[in-house]
Amino acid sequence: MVSAPAAISSDSQTTTRMSAGNITFFPPQPASPASDGPGSESRAPGLIEIAGLDFYYGEKKALDGINLSIEANRVTAFIGPSGCGKSTLLRCLNRMNDLIEDAGIRRGSIKIGGADINARGVDPIELRKRIGMVFQKSNPFPKSIYENIAYGLRIQGFKNKAEIDSRVEASLRNAALWNEVNDRLHDNALGLSGGQQQRLCIARALAVEPQVILMDEPCSALDPIATAKIEELIHELKKRYTIIIVTHSMQQAARVSDRTAFFYLGRLVEYGGTRAIFMNPSNPQTEAYVSGRFG
Amino acid sequence: MKTRSNETAPENEAAATPPPDGTNPGAHSPFAGSRSPLAPDSAQAVRRSLAARGIRAFFGSTALVSLLILTLITIFLFREGLPFFGASQREIALYRQAGLEYIDILRRAETGHIGLVRQLSDIRLRAFQHFVETGHLAVSDANARLAAFDNFADRFSDAIGPVRGLVSDIGEAATGIKTRAAVENDKAIQRQQLLDAGKASEAGQIKIEPVDFQKEIKPILDTLPACRDALRSTADELRAILAAAPSFDGRSLAARMETFQKRARAYIAALPGIENELSGWTPSEPVRWHASIVSFLTGREWITASFWQDWYGILPLFTGSLLASLIALAIAVPFGVGAAIYTSQVAARREQSLIKPAIEFISALPSVVLGFFGIAVLGELLRSLSQSPWLDWLPGFPIIERLNALTAGCLLALISMPTIFTLAEDALTNVPRALREASFALGASRLQTTLRIITPAALSGIISAVLLGFGRVIGETMVVLLCAGNRIAIPDFSAGPAVVTQPVHTMTGIIAQEMGEVVRGSTHYRALFVVGMTLFILSLAINYAAQKILRRYRLPSA
Repeated sequence: MVSAPAAISSDSQTTTRMSAGNITFFPPQPASPASDGPGSESRAPGLIEIAGLDFYYGEKKALDGINLSIEANRVTAFIGPSGCGKSTLLRCLNRMNDLIEDAGIRRGSIKIGGADINARGVDPIELRKRIGMVFQKSNPFPKSIYENIAYGLRIQGFKNKAEIDSRVEASLRNAALWNEVNDRLHDNALGLSGGQQQRLCIARALAVEPQVILMDEPCSALDPIATAKIEELIHELKKRYTIIIVTHSMQQAARVSDRTAFFYLGRLVEYGGTRAIFMNPSNPQTEAYVSGRFG
Repeated sequence: MKTRSNETAPENEAAATPPPDGTNPGAHSPFAGSRSPLAPDSAQAVRRSLAARGIRAFFGSTALVSLLILTLITIFLFREGLPFFGASQREIALYRQAGLEYIDILRRAETGHIGLVRQLSDIRLRAFQHFVETGHLAVSDANARLAAFDNFADRFSDAIGPVRGLVSDIGEAATGIKTRAAVENDKAIQRQQLLDAGKASEAGQIKIEPVDFQKEIKPILDTLPACRDALRSTADELRAILAAAPSFDGRSLAARMETFQKRARAYIAALPGIENELSGWTPSEPVRWHASIVSFLTGREWITASFWQDWYGILPLFTGSLLASLIALAIAVPFGVGAAIYTSQVAARREQSLIKPAIEFISALPSVVLGFFGIAVLGELLRSLSQSPWLDWLPGFPIIERLNALTAGCLLALISMPTIFTLAEDALTNVPRALREASFALGASRLQTTLRIITPAALSGIISAVLLGFGRVIGETMVVLLCAGNRIAIPDFSAGPAVVTQPVHTMTGIIAQEMGEVVRGSTHYRALFVVGMTLFILSLAINYAAQKILRRYRLPSA
């Protein structure tokens, strides 16, 4: 890992006010070739380090002592039966759980690029600008296709029309949507098909250039063809982004991810290379789940 | 079917269709030994279906009854209201036949002159104030300096004398004709009623002498040369008086005098037009078929129980209603929508549970109590507030009338608040959570999310909330009747924003005020029904528009 810029302190008590301008929140990561299999298990600190995380909804414990290290420029899949806490963990990463009353982390820490994202003084708004999110159900704004993407840019302070235009086009191209919509950028986004809407949501997340993209069951409402397109897109995107995907589909996890984490009842049961998890799980629960015997 | 092989089995459906293996179904069935409840002809099922049908009929009939009553009300409203147009048409025809119209044309010369005289007295008042306050003259000295002006004003005022004399002379003749026609008409109705009741002899005793309008109107028409002379001599005299108009030194007074002279010249120039109209007027010309509709919809006067001529023009009432409602909306929309945005987007759950019932409680206040409050407190408060010197930059301040459109508007705002707040809050809360989350996930702040995503997405709901609030206040009666000032006149919009401090009368107010006193079946009675119809149609249109907007721009459900 390259040395972090001076402004970033690993001490979680230091209040580090992050701004979009001069401070790099995430230190650049060495581009490691995406390798697979049991041999690639390494103990080097990842981009995201989750340590001893307990999360509660009111008095109900949803996550119990999660320790997880997520590497940069990989696709990490979270799998597990409903209610196992995988979506909750995903939403901890961009602090979306802040919006829920009475819910929160009681113990443990999440560090991204070495900085504790829950430290005092960390502005969740700045954090979310760096960590994009794609939701289970496509949720384009009831605006034009163009405005959907320009919105994120505008709230980040972009004013120059030409620059917004070029960024809109770039992110639509990156989301493999440009060729389908370039002649109707100013039509309402709700007129797109489900798969197109989901890719628009991905394009919307890409436009603000995050380092990490969180995907919460992005294909669960899509047909197989639209799903295939999104999966293809994920392959493309992992070259430049760190992707974490929550999925209910074991096949999808096997197809798109490099590493897989299996959760059960709020605990991380097993975490490793995707092939290892699916071919040679060490935990009997994992084995039962990936072979479809429960879940 | 193996019915035949099973003839000994009891006659019920379950036994009639035994399983293919031919065994007695009773042996396996949990309902063994009893009649199957699935059988459609079991007594229990019949009872149940009867009960279901009864319940259906009950709820269906309650819905039907409300529909029926609504229909009956609508029919009643239109049945009582629509004959207005016929009655009004006849009144307008009589107005022409009896020569009242002719006199009103002549009277225009008089009313125009009255306006000018009023302007002169206004100038005198200002000049007097100017001399006393700015020039520090004693009252007697100021009056002395105005002697020339007074002389001019008196002469100007007297110049209309000949026209005024004519108007009052032939006016009496015309009202005489009108009264006689009305009496004969009443007699005819009475006789018809007697004939209908089969009392032919009594009916024969009523003698009707139909009014010969052509003969009666002759004396009035004969005054035409006199009218012409009066108008001409007035014009000549006014011209001569104006030529010797006094002038003022002060700039603003001089400017006022200038506008007066301009208006006076325009008035004199219009007198020959009146003369032409008089000579072109014929009493026998039939009234156009839509005269009553036009006079109702565009009439600027609502005059009832007049010795001269009743006019039922809805414009002053309509503008009054509209003005009071718009004031209400101007106050209630920012507050209501703002409160809705705060409650749905910002407030914690405990705040919500405080704010929502509190605002909704407003609708529990009886409007007569609000009106009472308006008279006793708010009107007085606003007026004393308006007299404080540091507020006199506001248009219309200080307020002259205690009860005016503003007083009513403030209370109407309170009345429309719950409607606007509740519906707008619903619309905002119903914006799918996914949109909120998507915006937050992009790094938007709460304010950005609320203003750029949530509010635009809920806009159709907010607009329909405002429309329904508008519908609520335009139909409100008690508050406007008590607090709007009840002056039947189109508010003077030339006063600019200060128009809000003028007293107005409203469509709802006039119905409540006059319905108790009118003769049932009279034109006035029917006119009030037509006002009610107008209100009904207006509310219907507003509600329809609100629903339409809500439907058209509805978001796909989350």
